[in-house]
Amino acid sequence: MALSCLTRALRSLTLSQPAMVSSQAAAWSKLGAQVPSSAVIQCRGFLTTASLEQNRVRWKQREKYTIRPIGMKKTGGRDHTGRIRTHGIGGGHKQRYRWVDFHRLRYEANREGQPFEEKVVEVRYDPCRSADIALVAGGERKRWIIATENMQAGDIIKTSGFIGRMAVSANEGDAYPLGALPVGTLVNNLEVRPGKGSEYIRAAGTSGVLLRKVNGTAIVQLPSKQQVQVLETCMVTVGRISNVDHNKRIIGKAGRNRWLGIRPSSGLWQRKGGWAGRKIKPLPPMKVYINLPSVSAS
Amino acid sequence: MFPETAQRLKTAAPLFSHAAFVTDFRRLSAHGGARRHLTVGRCLTAKVPPPRKPRERVEIPGLEMVTYGERMHYVPGLAKPATQHWERDYKDPRYYKSPPAHEMLLYKDKPCYMFNQRTSALEGVRQAAWLTKTQVIPGLPAQLLSLAENPENQIPDQDERVQNAIKHARFWDTTEDRPRKEKYSNTLLLNLLHLCATLQSSHPAVGRRMLAENYSLATTWKRGEDLLQIRGQNGLLLSSMDPLPQMSGKQEVADTADHVLHAFYPVSPTIDLQKVHVYKEEVNHTGFRDDYPYPHAHTLYFLESADPRCKLRPEQFRTKMIMFTFGNALARAHKLHGTRPQRLLDRPVTVQSVGTNGRIFQFMVFQLNTTDLSGDDGIKNQMWLEEDVELYDFAKVRPLIKKKQIKVQCEGRRGFD
Repeated sequence: MALSCLTRALRSLTLSQPAMVSSQAAAWSKLGAQVPSSAVIQCRGFLTTASLEQNRVRWKQREKYTIRPIGMKKTGGRDHTGRIRTHGIGGGHKQRYRWVDFHRLRYEANREGQPFEEKVVEVRYDPCRSADIALVAGGERKRWIIATENMQAGDIIKTSGFIGRMAVSANEGDAYPLGALPVGTLVNNLEVRPGKGSEYIRAAGTSGVLLRKVNGTAIVQLPSKQQVQVLETCMVTVGRISNVDHNKRIIGKAGRNRWLGIRPSSGLWQRKGGWAGRKIKPLPPMKVYINLPSVSAS
Repeated sequence: MFPETAQRLKTAAPLFSHAAFVTDFRRLSAHGGARRHLTVGRCLTAKVPPPRKPRERVEIPGLEMVTYGERMHYVPGLAKPATQHWERDYKDPRYYKSPPAHEMLLYKDKPCYMFNQRTSALEGVRQAAWLTKTQVIPGLPAQLLSLAENPENQIPDQDERVQNAIKHARFWDTTEDRPRKEKYSNTLLLNLLHLCATLQSSHPAVGRRMLAENYSLATTWKRGEDLLQIRGQNGLLLSSMDPLPQMSGKQEVADTADHVLHAFYPVSPTIDLQKVHVYKEEVNHTGFRDDYPYPHAHTLYFLESADPRCKLRPEQFRTKMIMFTFGNALARAHKLHGTRPQRLLDRPVTVQSVGTNGRIFQFMVFQLNTTDLSGDDGIKNQMWLEEDVELYDFAKVRPLIKKKQIKVQCEGRRGFD
């Protein structure tokens, strides 16, 4: 049916007299005076391209936060052009995304500015990351956060944005700005720009170390031994991330890797170049995430 | 397939005239048997994509936008003319867009926390006790238990008849292998209610009661700073002409003033309640009109599988039972004594409730002693709760292999009491 309309539209674009099929002529004669005077059927044109927008990212366009797991669409390592950008991704068990709140210092509607406490309701496995996630409830809202090592249901965790003169003796799972913590604490979920949300040290079993605090900034060592200088108002949680034995697990068989969505790598033998082999080199220079005022030429 | 594709084409290509469609239909359908099953190389069923947001118009003051509006046709390079917002001057129900929340007539700045039948409260019974200012007493009151033990109140052949009721609900009430949970829990409840109703010959009070289903309850009360409401249809209600006698004496009621309500910092007691800004204030409705002959709520019956979309854990199910029983009691009290909070009711309102999932029963008696619920001190309401009473252990269908023929034999339950 669609094809017939399509062909008729195409036919209408031709300039010559269209040759009518006998059945079509018979049908037209039935209708009587429907035969147009001009041979060309009026047709203004039609779209030849399919809808260009893909609904591959529509599942993550939700604006309102929810704790309900959201159905996910897998990309298979393909990007918006459709070609593989990252090899070795595809298949695996279906997963539902639990929206984790990485802004630990997110105040509730009416209670800005005060430190608050939350209660851990449940700690559970998350298929989308190596760490476990915890459902915490405080005030009138519930949210998912990355669980730290010894977090259990029923714990109370504190979040505060206040930097005092004395360093706070922090319990595991609490979140403070870097300026409020004593030097040498193990930290995770590091924010490098204040207010942006934590982007570093989120994998299972990882932790960073607060090395020193230098007038208004703090230097943290990431799990890769890289050092990073950030403002002391950046929020961070104390302790190691949960699921500590994640790196000790044994996959056991190829099938288990496939369940995790990891496709086999190319079997072609490729000569290893300069990138392969053990490298012993000095640490890269410290990454500074502060916009220091530039020295103006006097 | 044809009407579907036709509709899709109509939405996708409004360029073709209607006569053309009609022609096509007739041609294809009346083609004398040899129908062409055209396969289309695209998906015929898809989600309708959401409407795209129009590009943002940037208004620069002092700069006049030259649009192609006057020229009446598109000119590349000129701006798109801004369409004026047009409102229909008559009301058409097919094209009605409800106003946003803050423009509604009943909008209030102060939010109201609503409890409905699909609410799943995080803290469970403790949260319900705090919201209703109730002291929870585990176990049913002694008077009720003694009433149940009394052989005069029992049905002749009680055990056997109850076993038959269970068998009917679990095994016999279907043409399939096993009836589904919603079905058997409902049947079991109705069978047991019927058994109780057979006592009418010896207890005439049973005849002065009436069952009602799917009535809408609404109550309002204040708890501290927050306004709370219960709304919804909670299920089966047995109402009676006479009110229930109060369960605890005056001394016990006065003793509840010393009881301290359990607070659960840092979680707020209004967590998981629906927060609304558009609501009717001071709405108190028992669900029945004033001239209903059975005005007093006697017992409520809750089924866990009544709402298939909403699955509540046992703790949350008990919370729902408590809240709706309280709602019924409060609505009755407001009707009798008015909506002004009263510190001590001279006649406490008592309501019972039973909740079940088909096998496990929860019994509850709620006594409303006070309607002054804003403060945390003072006389509290009382509640006797008996949780997780099993009527029977299991009801399984076991195959019986007899002379190489497999027959299905319904085997009974064990541990019935």
